[in-house]
Amino acid sequence: MTAAPHDDRYDITTRSGGLRRRRITEKVFAGLAVGSAVVAVGILALVLGTVIHRGITELSLDFFTKPRPLFGQAGGIADALVGSALIVGMAMVMAIPCSILVAIFMSEYAGPRVSVGLRVVLDVLNGVPAIIVGIFVFGLLVVGRGQSAIFGAFALAILMLPMVARATQEVLEIVPRSLREASLALGVTRWRTTLSIILPTAIGGILTGVVIAVARVAGETAPLLFTSSIAANQVSADVSNALPTLPVTIFVFSESPDPGEQAAGWAAALVLILFVLVLNVIAKVVAGRQRRKHEGA
Amino acid sequence: MTSVGFDPAAPGADLERHGIRLGDVLFQGIAVAASLAATALLGLIVYQVTSDAWPAIQEFGASFIWTEAWDPVKDVYGALTFVYGTVVTSAIALLLATPLSIAIALFLTEIAPRRLAAPIATMVELLAAIPSVVLGLWGILVFGPWVRDTLEPFLQSFLGWCPLFSGDPSQAGMLPAALVLTIMIIPITSAICRELFSRTPRDLMDGSMALGSTRWEAIRGVMFAYAAPGIAAAVLLGLGRAFGEAIAVNQVIGGANSINVSLFAPADTLGSRIAAQYQGATSSLQVGAILYLGVILMVISLVTNVVAQVIVTRFERARRAY
Amino acid sequence: MKRGALAALALVGVLALVAGQALAAPSSTKDTQLVGTGATFPFPLISKWIPEVGKAYGINITYSPTGSGAGIAAITARTVDFGASDAPLSDQQLADCKGCVVIPWALAAVSVPYNLPGLNGRVNLSGPTLANIYLGSITSWNDPAIKKLNPKLNLPDTKITPVYRSDGSGTTYAYTNYLSEVSPAFKSRVGVNTSVNFPTGVGARGSSGVAGVVKGTPGALTYVDAAYSIQNKLQFAMILNKAGRFTTPGLRGISQAVSQLPKKITSPAQLKIVDPPKAAGKLAYPISTFTYVILPTNAAKAAELRKFVYWAVTQGQKFGPPLFFVPLPTPVKAYAYRELAKVKAT
Repeated sequence: MTAAPHDDRYDITTRSGGLRRRRITEKVFAGLAVGSAVVAVGILALVLGTVIHRGITELSLDFFTKPRPLFGQAGGIADALVGSALIVGMAMVMAIPCSILVAIFMSEYAGPRVSVGLRVVLDVLNGVPAIIVGIFVFGLLVVGRGQSAIFGAFALAILMLPMVARATQEVLEIVPRSLREASLALGVTRWRTTLSIILPTAIGGILTGVVIAVARVAGETAPLLFTSSIAANQVSADVSNALPTLPVTIFVFSESPDPGEQAAGWAAALVLILFVLVLNVIAKVVAGRQRRKHEGA
Repeated sequence: MTSVGFDPAAPGADLERHGIRLGDVLFQGIAVAASLAATALLGLIVYQVTSDAWPAIQEFGASFIWTEAWDPVKDVYGALTFVYGTVVTSAIALLLATPLSIAIALFLTEIAPRRLAAPIATMVELLAAIPSVVLGLWGILVFGPWVRDTLEPFLQSFLGWCPLFSGDPSQAGMLPAALVLTIMIIPITSAICRELFSRTPRDLMDGSMALGSTRWEAIRGVMFAYAAPGIAAAVLLGLGRAFGEAIAVNQVIGGANSINVSLFAPADTLGSRIAAQYQGATSSLQVGAILYLGVILMVISLVTNVVAQVIVTRFERARRAY
Repeated sequence: MKRGALAALALVGVLALVAGQALAAPSSTKDTQLVGTGATFPFPLISKWIPEVGKAYGINITYSPTGSGAGIAAITARTVDFGASDAPLSDQQLADCKGCVVIPWALAAVSVPYNLPGLNGRVNLSGPTLANIYLGSITSWNDPAIKKLNPKLNLPDTKITPVYRSDGSGTTYAYTNYLSEVSPAFKSRVGVNTSVNFPTGVGARGSSGVAGVVKGTPGALTYVDAAYSIQNKLQFAMILNKAGRFTTPGLRGISQAVSQLPKKITSPAQLKIVDPPKAAGKLAYPISTFTYVILPTNAAKAAELRKFVYWAVTQGQKFGPPLFFVPLPTPVKAYAYRELAKVKAT
């Protein structure tokens, strides 16, 4: 065999030459990957740290029991907390049953093409910007009637629907066919099979989807800006009127020149972030438990 | 009481004799109704916004999209400033976020030890959980001033010859808005990429490395090729998110009416302009113009979303062929 | 089965509770509740009025400062009981409103605060100079035009950042009204409206927003109700009036600005008080403005609205001076009463 002149540079198997260059490249990109993760975690720490640092001093009993202040006074977020709770609660009542029914239709009754079509509809609905949903509800309901917490809840429900429906649908698909078939073979009606057997099996995944949707929607500002932003500075549960909410309150405080209001904004942001983060952690725990249950079974 | 046998006296017994159960029909009916309602909702949103914008669409026609004007006094409006702002801020956010997201996803799937990967992944997802209004609050009070006092002078010191980095540093402008959008996009894109990378068939990667490639070469050659459509979809979904973000952008972008080449100068985007001016429009034509902006935003978001869907569907079909 | 039935019952119960709450809202509280929105300009004063009116008449008032433009739009769409605006309604807006009256209920001035820390004195500005700043032809604080007005000040070479209202604002209306009076270039290029196309500068929402940007941006300058400048400890400029003096938006400055009103007011056009003539007085402040409440002539809550506005125009005025609002002059009060009489119950 005639040997070609041996050039170490192109012999990728030797330690010197190509291999060293390739190893360096490998290390460089690994370093970049680590660096990016550090950047991402760093930003999270920065934002959370700032919110905690600037908001924690403002937290006090007064902050949680007094309503939002009028011009030049001190106050708190009691009315915004109540308003947010009511509006998110109503949004859940509006969105969850409908979402579950849509998911059941997609997984139990619809043919494959209808199912895919609905999936596209839901994903497109998911991608509609929140501000468009806001002006939609405003034009449809608020004009001529006035703002109200119910309209705000409706706007949030529109945002929640695709999230919960898709999450539910994905979980329903995982439920083993054998369960359904066994139940039907025993003579249980189809609707009762779905409600009493399939749904409870999927409840973990549905719960995860709901919790994530609530976490996302609790922080939405744009739809509420158009449907529930003109509200009295007092704690109220009258849902036929507009009620103050946490995200809109933070938005208003964020633009204020008054350091007192800015501090209140940080504190309100801290409360909101804590709520959202706790929900996310709960969702993860439930999802983890579900996964383990399915893997173990 | 669970009834399993056939009861001739029960309601719906006649139907059941023919194999149709009343409860099932009702339930299916409700499920169908819910699905129709969801579909109708999407249609209604598109219809409502478009019909409210119709007077402006008729008045200005398609040239609205490339006209740079916004004058409520003369009642002359054009969307170019906001389309430009939306495109530029989203493009910058995408340029910055995509490599970062891919790198983060690679870190989590390839480099990080198993026990470290989960908490770090959680932390990246938590970044997505931060409500946009809180990011905007941080943007106005902390990030914006830092950009004005530190970042922009720094960029200007060696890039000042470029018109993009000319002009006076400002805490409200295209750059802070683009950076805030980057922060919002990263968790979405990196979560999808992470899913994709972790699902790459191991045998492909192992095969490549058995042939002598380094890990990075395997990733570049195999994983990216395999995941390319998925990455494209992830990028598009992040883009859709960037397009639609109105609140946080409104808080840090400065609300300008005309286009300025410099990234430091105030600008405005479609969503941000709608949020700022919808409720205070002085004439019905201005309301129509703002809703026309909404139509443009809606179309851009829908198109991005649908393209991402198509890519995902094709991708899933191709993957199943493996 | 039993659990399912119980769960369904519980859900129905919850739904019924929520629905019942919503639909059967006790009518008594609804009748004595007034919801309004609009100008951020009078918000400091309205904030003082709200508890007082509650005490005097048991009327629960909700007011949300969203900008004059939003106030006009809201009352036109009847999504609120009353709207507030610093800008009077145009003919088209009055027609769109389908039977509205516009009643002046407070009087104050637009201050021009700026952010120049460490300056050895207060800045004097003139109308044409302000117009040029907002047109973008004056870009730096040590521009010769500004130096000429301030011979004794050590003006720095800082860039001027003009800040304007990005939302529909009656303060913008008053300010652009003034600038259009004193600068033909401004009038033709920008014009007068609650929302205009400023060629340069940074936008922010609400009086709070613009004051906030100025507070945080060295070299910035804006136009905002005096109460916001004071509350945020912003230094405001002295403005040159037709009598040749530099004046402040204080109580005397505003009082002199309105001293030339006719004895009987018959139309809102007569309430334009920007750039008052020399005869008004040496201290007359050039950018003063009335601010208005907009009521529907046919309202279910006409009685409450009339009580509220009448109180505001009479007893409410005494809360004004500490916030730099001047009590309404007598001819204006008379005009207000006449317009208020047009508000009738449906």
